[in-house]
Amino acid sequence: MILIAPFAKQLRNGKENPKNYPYWEALIRLIDEPIIQVGVEGERQLVADFRKNLPLTEVRKLIQQCKTWISCDSFLQHLGWDEGKPGVVLWSVSDPLIFGHPENINLLKDRSLLAPNQFLWWEHTEHDPSKFVPPQDVLKALKSLLSTQELVLG
Amino acid sequence: MPSVLCSVSTRGRTHTTLPMALQAIINQTRRPDKLVIFDDNDDQQDLRGDPLYKQLFYMMQAKEIAWEWLYAGKKGQHHNHQMANWMGYEWVWRVDDDALPEPNVLQNLLKHVGPHIGGVGGSVLTPPQTFDGAATGKIEHIYTEPNLQWGLIKKTQEVEHLHCTFLYRAGVYDYNLALSRVAHREETLFTYGLHKKGYKLLVVPHAVTWHLKAPSGGIRMENRQELFAHDEQIFRNTMAFRDQTIVVLNSGMGDHIVFSHVLPHIKNPIVFGCYPEIVPSKSIAEAQSLFGDIEMFNIYGKMHRWQWKSSLEDAYRKMYL
Repeated sequence: MILIAPFAKQLRNGKENPKNYPYWEALIRLIDEPIIQVGVEGERQLVADFRKNLPLTEVRKLIQQCKTWISCDSFLQHLGWDEGKPGVVLWSVSDPLIFGHPENINLLKDRSLLAPNQFLWWEHTEHDPSKFVPPQDVLKALKSLLSTQELVLG
Repeated sequence: MPSVLCSVSTRGRTHTTLPMALQAIINQTRRPDKLVIFDDNDDQQDLRGDPLYKQLFYMMQAKEIAWEWLYAGKKGQHHNHQMANWMGYEWVWRVDDDALPEPNVLQNLLKHVGPHIGGVGGSVLTPPQTFDGAATGKIEHIYTEPNLQWGLIKKTQEVEHLHCTFLYRAGVYDYNLALSRVAHREETLFTYGLHKKGYKLLVVPHAVTWHLKAPSGGIRMENRQELFAHDEQIFRNTMAFRDQTIVVLNSGMGDHIVFSHVLPHIKNPIVFGCYPEIVPSKSIAEAQSLFGDIEMFNIYGKMHRWQWKSSLEDAYRKMYL
């Protein structure tokens, strides 16, 4: 099972969070594994098994149960790191060297696309799908991560 | 030679003591690299045409002291000091607008700076008052003893807080911007914060500043008792936790998770946060009630000022360890 947290926190101005990965539907079609989505009420449902508003302890259990996880720059990339389970993080405008963890696979299209100021509210940054890596790159990273885990597990 | 910014915050003293303070700064044997004047007056004026200021500005230019006159935000001198704190100099020498440093003050204060020094202050004498200088300089005695700097300092002594005018290491600790415009206790909170960060504070001899305590202008323009009471309350609440490291996490879940890896290394922490299931904590509302504006704990604000390039975890380490 693959765990996904597709969306970053909703912005106060109602705009799309610039950290939200825009190609989830295409990516999900490429993944040949059961997928569980975690998130909060009001987020778009992408798979049949969408678990909303789970207590943190339940999300931690899911992290331990999954093969790996995929998320944008949101709480799951920190929680997966905290649980010692590496995953794939889909970056765009926020800087993985500041907000990420090297234990994960951090997919950033180009550092030149990062927001000039990393410490302002994200409400000031427009969502731009062209700043994300394509689903094929994510699949490649996912396969690489899973094959590494299989090697480790023997 | 370390870079030094001289910072003067002024209000209501343009035509009384400020020109004297500026002249005293201009005539230092060790000139500051730059002089910045924060004009906190209600009615801010361009003084380049004023006969006296014209001469003072000329003297600065002749002595190669870069200078800048900034129209400040009228929010109190602590906001101005905070700006000076982050203007990119290694040291800031803050001088009140009614304080007259003798010509050797900056030179002698600088003799004491070093890697573990956070601040250095000399005597701050108000004629005709006299004080023999017997005090500990410890924060626990702040309500019961006079300040060491009020007397003629005869030997170098380590203290826990400094008063009025002093030289301090820039960019390592923030002024408390929760204080009102009177900024009561602002320098005590600031220098005690430097002390708590592990830097030594010294009072030293041969660095006398005459503090005229001009009867008009300055914080005396704000004589509303409730403002002093507000600031005193913040001071007392902060002091109540002085043996602890105050942590305020007014941020997201991910930030709390990252911070939880730093928490075990923090000395005697007291945490106020949003996600007690991740980091055991008291509420943010309680922090606001105790300390007023909690912006000074905003890790992103700090990272912005630090021009931070490393990880969030390292930023928390820098802030709290």
